[in-house]
Amino acid sequence: MKQIPSFLGLMAILAVCIAQTSCQSKEEIFRQQYVVEGMMQYEKHCENCHQKDGSGLKDLYPPLAKTDLWKRLNANQIACIIKNGQKEAILVNQKPYQNYMPGNAKLEALDVAEIITYLRDKWGNDPRIFPLDSARLALKNCP
Amino acid sequence: MLLAACQEKKTLPILGNKETIIKQGKADTLYQQIPAFQFLNQDSSWVSDRDYAGKIYVADFFFTSCPTICPKMKTQMLRLYERYANENQLALLSFSIDPDFDQPHVLKAYADRLHIKSPKWNLVTGAKAKIYELGQKSFMVTAQEDKNEAGGFVHSGAFILVDKQKHVRGIYDGTKEQEVNHLIEDIELLLKEK
Repeated sequence: MKQIPSFLGLMAILAVCIAQTSCQSKEEIFRQQYVVEGMMQYEKHCENCHQKDGSGLKDLYPPLAKTDLWKRLNANQIACIIKNGQKEAILVNQKPYQNYMPGNAKLEALDVAEIITYLRDKWGNDPRIFPLDSARLALKNCP
Repeated sequence: MLLAACQEKKTLPILGNKETIIKQGKADTLYQQIPAFQFLNQDSSWVSDRDYAGKIYVADFFFTSCPTICPKMKTQMLRLYERYANENQLALLSFSIDPDFDQPHVLKAYADRLHIKSPKWNLVTGAKAKIYELGQKSFMVTAQEDKNEAGGFVHSGAFILVDKQKHVRGIYDGTKEQEVNHLIEDIELLLKEK
């Protein structure tokens, strides 16, 4: 009598476990799609200046790889810079970059979400998706 | 052997208009040349065609606030700058197509941030009409204002190779690494020309 509920319980736990792992991988596939799309957007809109490897160009354009940017700025701030540009000097690895960055007014919230997901994955050491809803909200509240 | 012989003979064409003239009963071909010019560079010094007399140079057209192809062009031009740092026969010349904004002090800041120096690499500014005319007629590239274009100007990403006799010897896409590799091969050929 005692053994049956515990067996059922075990089955239930197992079922939950399976459901969870398959759920996670579904999310991971979704995130990977963001990363791939984001990479293509990066090549189109960002790479000219920041370079394919994110190294930037001398003191003209700041690097994105191996920088403190990812600690100093949150995703919402980065979203606003991508969309609206950066007019004031920006400090990257304690070095000021004064060249004005033009905005990318044509980018939609989804594009921005994908680019940030890609950037975080590649150089931010942060494999989290930046979801569309967060991008929309961030862009609505840009300074 | 045959291949080597062919390579030795390879020369670059002279681009642009040419006209045949008869001089003392002999036919001679006159090739288009880069005409005289004078502009201010990033150090507010005059730079003219005379500074490039007897030199091979690579020219391009850009503007400092360009959001599109210029960064790629500058990345590639920087390759040439570093590669030929000690080659006195070769120089670089970038014309601003937004000269009203790109005053010498703006060019200076840009040059400093790019870690480049005149006269090896002059960034020049001057009368807009003169720069556009020089670009279109002599360097054979597109350079003009266009409000519909990102940044407000349309221009090609061309690198123009000019020889010691002021002839255009090649035009390359300065936004593409492969094309610039080709340009480097052609520079090597020109350096060997007398």
